[in-house]
Amino acid sequence: MKYADWPLAAPVNITWEITRRCNLKCIHCLSASSVATPGELTLKECRGIVDQLAALKVFEINFGGGEPLLKDFFLPLLCYIHEKGIVACISTNGTALTDEAVNFFSGNPLVNVQVSLDGATPEVNDAIRGEGTFRNIISGIGILSGKNIPLSINTVVTSLNYHQLDRLKELAAGYGARLRVSRFRPSGRARESWETLKLDPARLQSLSAWLSSDPSILTGDSFFSISQDGRRQLGLDTCGAARMTACIDPTGDVYPCAFMQSAEFCGGSLREKSLKDIWDKAPAFARFRRLEPSSCRSCPRFEKCRGGCPAVAYFLTRDLNSPDPECLMSWNAETTRAGNRY
Amino acid sequence: MPLRLAADVRVRRESWGLLFYRQAPHKLCFVKSGDWLQPAHFDGTWTLETIIDDVSRRTGAPPEIIARVLPRLTGRLIKNRIIADEIR
Repeated sequence: MKYADWPLAAPVNITWEITRRCNLKCIHCLSASSVATPGELTLKECRGIVDQLAALKVFEINFGGGEPLLKDFFLPLLCYIHEKGIVACISTNGTALTDEAVNFFSGNPLVNVQVSLDGATPEVNDAIRGEGTFRNIISGIGILSGKNIPLSINTVVTSLNYHQLDRLKELAAGYGARLRVSRFRPSGRARESWETLKLDPARLQSLSAWLSSDPSILTGDSFFSISQDGRRQLGLDTCGAARMTACIDPTGDVYPCAFMQSAEFCGGSLREKSLKDIWDKAPAFARFRRLEPSSCRSCPRFEKCRGGCPAVAYFLTRDLNSPDPECLMSWNAETTRAGNRY
Repeated sequence: MPLRLAADVRVRRESWGLLFYRQAPHKLCFVKSGDWLQPAHFDGTWTLETIIDDVSRRTGAPPEIIARVLPRLTGRLIKNRIIADEIR
């Protein structure tokens, strides 16, 4: 049995989308963020959730959004989280940094900061994240650099920036940071930009080889179905939704994964139930734990990936239990079958 | 020598044993120890010998069997920098 199948009493980490408010309007934003959602959690409610996470011994909180630094009580909340000894990984667009935030992050053993940048040049980045953002993001990275803050630069790999990955890695190294790459998924605003920005099979193959050849590149997509053979050292290689992780949205609703924030996948509200109750009993979570695309059963890699990313499968096929449409094994099999036919 | 968690490691109890988390590489370590080990065993007050006594008392397992298995496990955890057997 894989480690990911060992039942856990609570998530290992939580993705917490603390606000939908954002000063950018990236065309691939997974949560289509721009303005705050009505009824976002208060500081008092957030502290109550942190108390639950601490009691359950959740190890990490990955903050995103929206732009977490635009949440008015974000730093006081971080203080409270750190009093509980929980690690916070903060995903920011780097354009809303304040001196207070940088001072708070600097030398803090419980903070990791990840700045999103989607191109090594203004032309490429700004086409995705908005006019003038490259300059502002680089300025933010410069402010964070050299301050004893574990820093990474995160790039969502798309057809626009694919050819700049080596340059992005160099750019990150120049600021003492590591490059992290994330998979482009068709959720949020990315549903509209999917056809334009998705990688074609040949590029996904090359990306897989590139990732496999360079272990210094980080990826939050440890269940990245396109690269897991070469990247076992990353640890998890299957989907961790509802097994290892869960997502809290700005109003306290809990989902198996940040990419699956629609009503049918909601496990419940933290305003009504405890996280433990949702984790143990929510039908949406039980459903995720049972996912096992039958058409993948005969694949030699099935035990490694269990069908890949359900979010990509769902958004492209409307079937949560279908195989990941970007699985390279499927393409290889189809290519072989096509070759045999002709 | 007392055993204690390494500085950047946290641990929690699971139904199948202990789940360790190393902060710097964000890595997990699954230890299928059943009822034998408790997170408190690594708070710096327990030695291998006192843990063996405790496991035997709580589970009824013969101390000689525990003494044969446990040092290998703790040895691996020390090697992987999950726990330390140094005096701070």
